[in-house]
Amino acid sequence: MADETKIGIYLCEGCGIAEAIDMDELEQTVSSEYQVSTCKRHAAFCSEEGVAVIEKDVKDGEANRVVVAACSHRVMTDRFNFDGAATVRANLREQIAWTQAPQDEDTNMFAADNVRMALAQARNTDNPEGHENVVKSEKLLVVGGGVAGLTAALEAARAGTEVTVVEKTGQLGGWTRKWSRLIPSRPPYRGLIANNTEELIKAVEDNGKIKVVTNAIVARTEGMPGDFTVTIDHGGSEETDTFGAIVVATGWRMPDDMTPYEKYGLGKVDGVMSGVDFEEVLAAGVEKDGKKLNTIAIVIPCESEQMPYTSGVADRIAIKQAIQVMDTNPDAMVYVLHDNLRAHGQAEELYREAQDKGVVFMKAMVKSAAAGPELTTDDLLLGQEVRLSGLDAVVVMTGMMPNSTNPDLPKAEKGNEFLCDDVNPRVPITVNGEDAGDGDAARAAPSDADDEGAGVAPADCDPENPPLPGGALLNLQYRQGPHIPILYNGFIDSHYICFPYETRRTGIYVCGAVRKPMTAHEADNDATGAALKGIQAINLVKESRATHPRTGDLSYPIFGLDICTKCRRCTVECPFGAIDENEEGYPQLNPSRCRRCGTCMGACPVRTISFKNYSPNMVSEMIEAVEQPDPFDEKPRIMVFACENDAYPALDMAGVNRREINKYMRFIPVRCLGSVTLVWVSNALEKGFDGVMLMGCKSGDDYQCHFVKGSAIAQERIGKVEETLKNLMLEPERVTIEEVSIADSKRVVDLLGKFGDQIEEIGLNPFKGF
Amino acid sequence: MTAAIPATSRTYDLSFARWVRENVKGGDKMNLCMQCGVCSGSCPIGSEMDNGPRKTFMMVRAGMKDEVLSSTTLWNCTSCYRCYVRCPRGIPVTSIIQGLAAVAAKEGYADKEKVSNYYFSKAFWWSARSFGKTDERLVTMKYFFSFGLVEGIKRALANLKIALGMVKAGRMHIGMPHSIRNKSQLKAIIAKAAELESKG
Amino acid sequence: MSEKMKVTYYPGCSSEATGRHLDESIRAVMPEVGVEMADIEDWNCCGASVGHIGGGPLPTLALNGRNLANAKKQGNEHVMTPCAACYLNTHGSNLTIRDDEAKREKVNEALKAGGMEAYEGDLKVHHAMEVLVNFVGMEKIAERATNKLKGLKVAGWVGCQTVRPFAETDDGGNYDTYEEPEFLDDITRACGAEAVPYEKKTNCCGGSVAVMKPEKTLHLMKLLLEEAEKAGADVISTPCPLCQTNLEMYQDAINAKYGTNFHIPVVFPSQLMAVAFGMDPQKDAALQRNTIRAEKLEKLAKK
Repeated sequence: MADETKIGIYLCEGCGIAEAIDMDELEQTVSSEYQVSTCKRHAAFCSEEGVAVIEKDVKDGEANRVVVAACSHRVMTDRFNFDGAATVRANLREQIAWTQAPQDEDTNMFAADNVRMALAQARNTDNPEGHENVVKSEKLLVVGGGVAGLTAALEAARAGTEVTVVEKTGQLGGWTRKWSRLIPSRPPYRGLIANNTEELIKAVEDNGKIKVVTNAIVARTEGMPGDFTVTIDHGGSEETDTFGAIVVATGWRMPDDMTPYEKYGLGKVDGVMSGVDFEEVLAAGVEKDGKKLNTIAIVIPCESEQMPYTSGVADRIAIKQAIQVMDTNPDAMVYVLHDNLRAHGQAEELYREAQDKGVVFMKAMVKSAAAGPELTTDDLLLGQEVRLSGLDAVVVMTGMMPNSTNPDLPKAEKGNEFLCDDVNPRVPITVNGEDAGDGDAARAAPSDADDEGAGVAPADCDPENPPLPGGALLNLQYRQGPHIPILYNGFIDSHYICFPYETRRTGIYVCGAVRKPMTAHEADNDATGAALKGIQAINLVKESRATHPRTGDLSYPIFGLDICTKCRRCTVECPFGAIDENEEGYPQLNPSRCRRCGTCMGACPVRTISFKNYSPNMVSEMIEAVEQPDPFDEKPRIMVFACENDAYPALDMAGVNRREINKYMRFIPVRCLGSVTLVWVSNALEKGFDGVMLMGCKSGDDYQCHFVKGSAIAQERIGKVEETLKNLMLEPERVTIEEVSIADSKRVVDLLGKFGDQIEEIGLNPFKGF
Repeated sequence: MTAAIPATSRTYDLSFARWVRENVKGGDKMNLCMQCGVCSGSCPIGSEMDNGPRKTFMMVRAGMKDEVLSSTTLWNCTSCYRCYVRCPRGIPVTSIIQGLAAVAAKEGYADKEKVSNYYFSKAFWWSARSFGKTDERLVTMKYFFSFGLVEGIKRALANLKIALGMVKAGRMHIGMPHSIRNKSQLKAIIAKAAELESKG
Repeated sequence: MSEKMKVTYYPGCSSEATGRHLDESIRAVMPEVGVEMADIEDWNCCGASVGHIGGGPLPTLALNGRNLANAKKQGNEHVMTPCAACYLNTHGSNLTIRDDEAKREKVNEALKAGGMEAYEGDLKVHHAMEVLVNFVGMEKIAERATNKLKGLKVAGWVGCQTVRPFAETDDGGNYDTYEEPEFLDDITRACGAEAVPYEKKTNCCGGSVAVMKPEKTLHLMKLLLEEAEKAGADVISTPCPLCQTNLEMYQDAINAKYGTNFHIPVVFPSQLMAVAFGMDPQKDAALQRNTIRAEKLEKLAKK
């Protein structure tokens, strides 16, 4: 830092703060304990007048660090944003004024500690400046020329972006081009609609901003958002181009293994066909080999029978096909066999239309199929076995297997563990084939992260959880291997509600049936979203800013290579594959791949990774800043590391709802639980904190972690704390980790209360006072 | 009733369901049944029914004509209309059950042992047709004696105490049945209606 | 509403037998609250809940068509009936004749065979309770109830067809709900009596099945009586003639079968009103026609 640090602290008295907290005492604490440049009070610092006071101090050189002790750092960010002075916030309003007994001794202690922590933070922070500009191309690459890929290309082109579409086959339009009629996409959601895929193809081909390459695949992809160097294999000849972002829309295929469907006679009995083949029959006017089909059973494989890749899409397509038969031949007899008909949302209208037209829905499990074709079923509504004979056709709704890999390519040499189901929240982390933790071998297998280190059994050797077959779609030249990770069932991992298009590889977005099973219309909507995400990523990266979820953040991790031990934990644990290793084995950041979660920082055993405004040292000093009361006062102190994404907002909401928070808690917001280094935990205990709680998002197959794996990694790390605690002669119950959601404003308070009681029961930390 | 009731030979032959749809009051809505079972669950007297409305509807769809028309479900409906107002799909369940009962009566499925309701209906209609009014006393007697002389006397005696109470309270009269004045007009109307109904 | 309402009255078959006290009390109280009644000329049976089985749907429709055509001739647009089954059939048939062109033509052909004029379905059919709710209003009843039934505990049992399936529809006058109707308790309160909580308000007594096979439905009636006893009711009030008769006449059978000791009077709301209006307990309230005498109510009556 070039200049001397000058801290200005501004104590706000609005929104009930002055009523709850003794402001004179607080000001006294600040001026007696800290060397601040200026300390001012105001009835409302967020007012024009209040902001002007701070602005003047910054302009006059009175302060180059601003501490606003007022509301939560999550609100008024636009008001408290000063050019040339890093701003830190102390939460007096949501956390104290609105949750604590007014003018109480403990309330004042709480307030003083929050200000102390903010001052410690201010001394150790600076405004980030952003990394160097890496953008070499603003073009978008779309992989896959089906309805999703074409829509993504067209939407991006309409928004002014240049697009290249790479299609594996010689024909655009994918599966959808084959269907004669589609499910309606507009109110009243009744009546099948014409297929407009040919028009979509034409619109793409006619668009000057779109380049289409058919019979081509992506051979390799290097670089990072803003600078992806992609080699396209075009029938043997390679061609290299640079792109800003990538949209993956590789769609689906029939399941590789069709043997489970033999139960319904598929492939065994004449007259039994898949739903895909039945589309041809429908297109021909419900005729096959010149014969009209009048009596048709459409079988939706039962969920309970675990047929591969079946989903609710099958149910909707079955209803659609039934309607199409009735539209062609109102006297036809169509039976739809299901065990749980999934016709959610507007599909309910479609279901009613089918009922109106006389389609019979049978809740029946198929037991066997015989020549005829005929089906023997267990009719669950009649409670008896029913034989369906004299059928003209049996249609089996087969599943949609995602093309998360290219089945025509050989298996990749490494990184295949990212193609295994990845739902275990406590994923052990291995480096060079060994457990990266304290050597607890019991937790070592099966391993999550592969490493090219010798002597290691491949990570995908778990027979219960084999990787998807096939080779890499993009063949990423990343330290963590060539694949886009899946979560489970072979679908590319993307959060199904909160961030549906974000893969675990920044700047690479996914849409359509490779992400989740969906109909053509849904794929169309999906593609529009993914295209916009791609454009947004390019524009953010141009300004060195982070993409989702810390959208716009300029900070990025800085590696102090002087003390780096090349342990590779950061490169292995980064959920986004942002960090590679250079030839010497040191971590090398690809800055635009980074999402700024700090998981690398939390992983580094020597704490040499930091951000300008977020570092191990900063938090350690914040921990130390909290005043530990005399042990004889019997006032415990509990440190809560609360994730900024869901836990901290839930705490703020608890304040908004005026729920009383345990008065012994002290909170430090963290970017992600993945960024929490265990040193902070031991620091806190050594400094006399009686308990430590990590509060973050849900991990597992329904994860809510905004950085996908951060919460899971924290779970794993905390599993190792027990040993440390035992060494310190402390009870393991003093450290806990809780998963909360943003809607848990009541639950967080209960959790804190319970943990507080638990700590009081265990007793105070024996280190207190030392 | 328009078309003749179809004969079905196999399960899930839709011709019976389609016949019901065209020929039974409310039958056109029966397709919308989603088998939730609110009807059967709401029925106050479901314990007296073999199938209940939900299953009956499924059986109609399954083409189980004989089983549907000879079922006790049709004859135990109290016409409380709870299923009717509760059906989430707005199906007039009560009307369909009553309509199916009328079909069963016409098609000769009514069995003396099982379907007392049928005989009561006959007795009731006899009174309505003959006198233009329901004479509860005569309807009840005719109903009792529809089971045969001995059974009729037995049932009549069992209800004697009730009947005497009613007479005493002036709620059952002794003497000629109540009757409308213009009986011939009513007969002509009913005869014409019956003729129109059979013609379709 | 206007001060007076004119209705063509359809008493129904039970009015001449088991439901005489309903008919008599309705005829007594309605004019007191501004409803003028004139009987349908030479009215006939509606077909009740089994007519369509015995006779078939179209003849049943024709029966009702005859009544409606006669009412139409009398020149009044409102038809009122106090009987649930009559209401269901007459109102339902009226809607069918109004809305279903094919059926209307057939009914009119049948009416023509009897020398009657065609009917187009343009009358409005009301249940007597709907008239009390929508046209008279509780205030007027309370105002007229000069002999308040102080201390009388009444369990309001609406039964089924009075509110189902039409009460909640615009055609049915939208006068209350299917599941938890309140009008009956409102009438009880307007009469100055106490409406005790009664959950089984719209439970079925077994209807016509109770008449022909009582053993199938005694348990239903037992539930109704138990609930009334639990609530401490002095009387059960019900607007339906079949409900009243069933629940009254089968109490002995229930006691014999279940070893209970029920002896709960079942009265019509119009009987309560007649007593509360200070009218004649015999001529107007027809209390002598209840086989289980409502002694507490009789004591409240003006001698």
